[in-house]
Amino acid sequence: MNEKVIAVVTAGLTTPSSSRLLADQLADAVRDELSGRGIGTRIELIEVRDHAHELTDNLLTGFPPAKLREVLETVTGADALIVVSPTFSASYSGLFKMFFDVLDDQALAGKPVLLAATGGTERHSLVLEFALRPLFAYLKALPVPTGVYAASTDWGPNAAGLRPRIAQAAGELVSALHHETPTQADPFENPTPFEDLLNS
Amino acid sequence: MQFGVFSVGDVTTDPTTGTTVSEGERIKAMVRIALKAEEVGLDVFAQGEHHNPPFVPSSPTTQLGFIAARTSKIILSTSTTLITTNDPVKIAEDYAMLQHLADGRVDLMMGRGNTGPVYPWFGQDIRNGIQLAVENYALLRRLWREDVVDWEGKFRTPLQGFTSTPRPLDDVPPFVWHGSIRSPEIAEQAAYYGDGFFHNNIFWPMSHTKRMIELYRTRFEHYGHGAADQAIVGLGGQVFMRKNSQDAVREFRPYFDNAPVYGHGPSLEDFSRETPLTVGSPQEVIERTLSFRESVGDYQRQLFLMDHAGLPLKTVLEQLDILGEEVVPVLRKEFAALKPAHVPDAPTHASLKAAAERARDLETIEEPIR
Ligand SMILES: Cc1cc2nc3c(=O)[nH]c(=O)nc-3n(C[C@H](O)[C@H](O)[C@H](O)COP(=O)(O)O)c2cc1C
Repeated sequence: MNEKVIAVVTAGLTTPSSSRLLADQLADAVRDELSGRGIGTRIELIEVRDHAHELTDNLLTGFPPAKLREVLETVTGADALIVVSPTFSASYSGLFKMFFDVLDDQALAGKPVLLAATGGTERHSLVLEFALRPLFAYLKALPVPTGVYAASTDWGPNAAGLRPRIAQAAGELVSALHHETPTQADPFENPTPFEDLLNS
Repeated sequence: MQFGVFSVGDVTTDPTTGTTVSEGERIKAMVRIALKAEEVGLDVFAQGEHHNPPFVPSSPTTQLGFIAARTSKIILSTSTTLITTNDPVKIAEDYAMLQHLADGRVDLMMGRGNTGPVYPWFGQDIRNGIQLAVENYALLRRLWREDVVDWEGKFRTPLQGFTSTPRPLDDVPPFVWHGSIRSPEIAEQAAYYGDGFFHNNIFWPMSHTKRMIELYRTRFEHYGHGAADQAIVGLGGQVFMRKNSQDAVREFRPYFDNAPVYGHGPSLEDFSRETPLTVGSPQEVIERTLSFRESVGDYQRQLFLMDHAGLPLKTVLEQLDILGEEVVPVLRKEFAALKPAHVPDAPTHASLKAAAERARDLETIEEPIR
């Protein structure tokens, strides 16, 4: 049975974290959807909080410490991403953004991404469209049309409303997986010959 | 193998005393460090070139010329010469001039410079960094090797019938190293010309350095300059030493914590694990430095950064004593014992001159008898 690797990047800060809760539900839905199509799933869960110091170090020194390097490689090597940010001051959180700031700006090109966010108020749900989507468009990733936003009320009285949105987004992500992600030329394996550099 | 020091030339407040030296004091301190490097038996003194505070050395050949007059053995080099924003004509002239004054004790390390705002001050754009390095260096090589140059390129005014003066000493251009941190294109450039490649690894993990050097070596062989293990490799290093490891760590930590570049980021311990930084006893520095060879193979030049982050001159001079007396003699012996005979030393003016003479003799011998 072939297997897809789904990297889940969640940037909640609290324990328990509602972003993590949403991330888990999205990952389960994607797993179900894939197994329905006879495909196995490996979920790689990344709590950005666990790498907060390393992210700062990376920004200051220009290179990722060993543990963060592994995590970044997991993300760039995955078949698809699920990303979840808490909404802070009407945008993604700073920590969430730092994670994508230290990735090479070509690293996510062509990769299907499911966008998700949590927030205190449902009035900020457009954070998905006004903050997350442009970020991933810039990174040349392929965000699926449906994003999932969960406000405090979605964990209580509106929980039933959340489930179909999760299923819809998970279905779209799995469909997008049929895209061949373009593999990038490795400049160390295939360096540009110097004559080309001289004549460019 | 050559051992030496390289200085960035930063003016940084000493975080333990709050004192900041003047530009004049820092310039004189760099000279003092160069003289000390020769005194303790090091082979190379290299200095940076910068055009923005808090760095002082904007005019490297003025400073190296002054040092040349007061030394007799040490090789004077750069770390780095800005091949992107300097006019290659001026580099050709300045360093040929320095070669004559220093009796050939000169080589250069080319670098692109990673400070964005500097480029427009010199009419350039950092986004053309690689192209500038490629074109400017191609011109520089011709200026040193051809007496009369006609030239047209993208970045500077064309030249017609131009002769760069003075001609290089003995018609032997200075040896060139290409310094790079993360650009495969520069490793490719160094390999293409059979020049040296210096990986400034001081702030980078060895795994990355290893990849860059492997690329350079493979391409050096590809371009027919010799076997991969005969390519000319240089590395950086950053050390602080005291007899007892703990004393070194205690004394260096405030400088580390507040240093430009990496300060306020990783802990000294994390950074020491991830990069070549070694804070400890002379023996620890010896072991760490020898371990570089396991990652990159036999190499030709090891430069240490000793004088940044606000360390007082007195401390730096003590460090140079330790380096020269306790560390380098051991490293020389150990590296020499490990190096196979077919791996060359770094070229010097004398070796390049001898090679040029051999090539000329061969030409005369092979001239068909008519
Ligand atoms: C500094 C800060 C700013 C916040 N700003 C917003 C906001 O603008 N809009 C919103 O809906 N929620 C806002 N919140 C609430 C968080 O988005 C919400 O608690 C989130 O679900 C927490 O995620 P976690 O449980 O995964 O840590 C903010 C919280 C913090 C700490």
